[in-house]
Amino acid sequence: MKQVYILCIDDEADVLEAVERDLAKLETVFPLETASSADEARSVLERIKEAGGEVGVVFCDHVMPKETGGEFLRWMEETPEWRVTRKALLTGQAGLEATVSAVNNASLDYYLAKPWTREGILQAAKRLLTDYVIERNLEPLPYMALLDTARLAENAYTRGLMSDT
Amino acid sequence: MNSKTLIGVLLGVAAFAVALILPIEGLELSARITLGIFLFAAIFWISEPIPIYATSMCVILLQVMLLSGQGFVFSPRNAPVAETEAVEGGALIVPASALSEDGFLYLNKQGKSVGKIKPASVEALGGGRLAVVGKGLTEEVVVIADPTHRSITSGAGSYSAFYNTLASPIIMLFLGGFALAASAVKFGLDKNLTRVLLRPFGTKPAMVCLGLMVSTATLSAFMSNTATTAMMMTVVLPIVASVAVSDPFRKCVALAVPVAANIGGIATPIGTPPNAVALAALKENGINISFSNWMVLAVPFTLILLVFAWWVLMAFFKPETKTLEIKLDGKFNKSPKAIASYVIFAVTVLLWVTEKLHGISTTMVAFLPIAALPALGVLDKKDIRGFSWEVLWLVGGGISLGLSMKETGLAVWLIGLVSWNTLGALGVVIVFGIVGYLIANLISHTVAATMIMPLAITVGAALAAAGGFNLVASIVSITAIVSCAMVLPISTPPNAIAMATGIIETKDMAKVGITVGVAGLVLAIVFCLTFWPAVIS
Repeated sequence: MKQVYILCIDDEADVLEAVERDLAKLETVFPLETASSADEARSVLERIKEAGGEVGVVFCDHVMPKETGGEFLRWMEETPEWRVTRKALLTGQAGLEATVSAVNNASLDYYLAKPWTREGILQAAKRLLTDYVIERNLEPLPYMALLDTARLAENAYTRGLMSDT
Repeated sequence: MNSKTLIGVLLGVAAFAVALILPIEGLELSARITLGIFLFAAIFWISEPIPIYATSMCVILLQVMLLSGQGFVFSPRNAPVAETEAVEGGALIVPASALSEDGFLYLNKQGKSVGKIKPASVEALGGGRLAVVGKGLTEEVVVIADPTHRSITSGAGSYSAFYNTLASPIIMLFLGGFALAASAVKFGLDKNLTRVLLRPFGTKPAMVCLGLMVSTATLSAFMSNTATTAMMMTVVLPIVASVAVSDPFRKCVALAVPVAANIGGIATPIGTPPNAVALAALKENGINISFSNWMVLAVPFTLILLVFAWWVLMAFFKPETKTLEIKLDGKFNKSPKAIASYVIFAVTVLLWVTEKLHGISTTMVAFLPIAALPALGVLDKKDIRGFSWEVLWLVGGGISLGLSMKETGLAVWLIGLVSWNTLGALGVVIVFGIVGYLIANLISHTVAATMIMPLAITVGAALAAAGGFNLVASIVSITAIVSCAMVLPISTPPNAIAMATGIIETKDMAKVGITVGVAGLVLAIVFCLTFWPAVIS
């Protein structure tokens, strides 16, 4: 089984801590990696890739020094190995223009406004990870209990992912 | 590569080598090679260093290369060639040692096969030479110098016999089943049938559970147990979500589905791959079982066990809620293609169960959906690619291995290690049933059936020849028992799916699995001795 990670990028350490706390329920199956800048995120991605892992979903702050979240997500979208990663913008300050640009250029999958609720971010993560598991055609069993069980089961039988062997 | 994989690979290869190298009393070279392949396959299937279907493919490769008349070991290419000379008058001069004791000359036909000719006249010329005359004995023939060479004595057949197992009628039967199931899933027939089947059971928890089990078993009799379970889980999850977290009914329905899917697979020949393994073994022994005959044997068994399993679930997980709210909305797809798929489904099943009236065999009818569904555009190439081909490879490899075990005498030798006659008919079924049940709980049902069936059918055929033993009943019984193995999440894919939902714990599954499985084991043995022989005769 390939290790699927969640990546969270924000220049504020307390935001990363809050996300870590809120997504603790998923940690057993989807380890969370954090980064405080786009550059640090790139080295985290490199490390994950070298270990043979994948990134299922990335939550990225928009307003960061040097490189904005929108730009970073766009870079991910244009890099073949991270294209399939589900991308969420986690922000309070992105204006309409930045948001539209992120939707259009980084094919943004989710917009999570700060401040978020624990239930809100958990549901978003579950939905995006379910999308990822389905899109990647991963063997669904290890993920069923944590994610959207019905959708994974439906996908498994309509696409014939499992057989009587 | 982790250590478990490495140990599996090393053990498998070592067992293969040992069987080849060790001289075993009473086993010919071909049987020893088969034993090696059998041990290699068994170890690989159990420890799974590679996927089980890949092991089956390796089995066929090894057979083609090592056991066929064209392979490395038994090809006439390896046989010494006799010096021959054609003389005036059409006679051929050959060394006397080339003529076998019963007066045959063996020819190497381009290194691909062995020819056998009895010369019309043989004249000794002295000096260990013979002048032979006979049809086909011309200057061009290559005579094998040693008539006791292994390429002749092994009786190895053509490599194509191993390939043919992949197109055996039983494989075609399953392919037909796959085509029907794929079209049913594509147009939602499975879900809509569930809706129709579930409705009469109302909203009381106990009845809903029974309804779910009946629907699951009915579908899994025609579709894969695994796909049925995954589909039924999408029906069950909203029901689970609607009752209190503390209500044992949640566990009850989550377990009802895999249990019913495992049991339902027994009901028809296409229900589950172990049935294919059994049908193929019987066919090898000249016994053909029609779709309807199998159902006459298996459906009563399935029904009794299903009701028992329901009762067990109700006893272990007594529902607290009084009524359930079940949403059964949805409409039958009425597009032309969907209707075509319903018609083909109905016609195929109808032809299957009415074989007595028209005489077209089950395995022949199976090709109707294979051809008609793509022809009508119901299934496209994407759907065809989506069939569970690996299951066919798994079963095909098993049939192929069984073929060699029978032909090389390995099966007879293996069963000769135990004196079965002293056990009697009951003892044989009990021994094979219990061994099959235990193995099948730990590894794939198909693989368990594949490993046991060549031996069971050899013992059974010997006992049946001696009289007082019903071969068909015993094989059906062992097959049903294999399907009853459902103690652990790893026992069957339906169990794994149910476990993956996180609603149940392993101990819940084990509790129900052991109770239902042991009941199935006992019931299959009772049926084997009473009901089935009566129906068959």
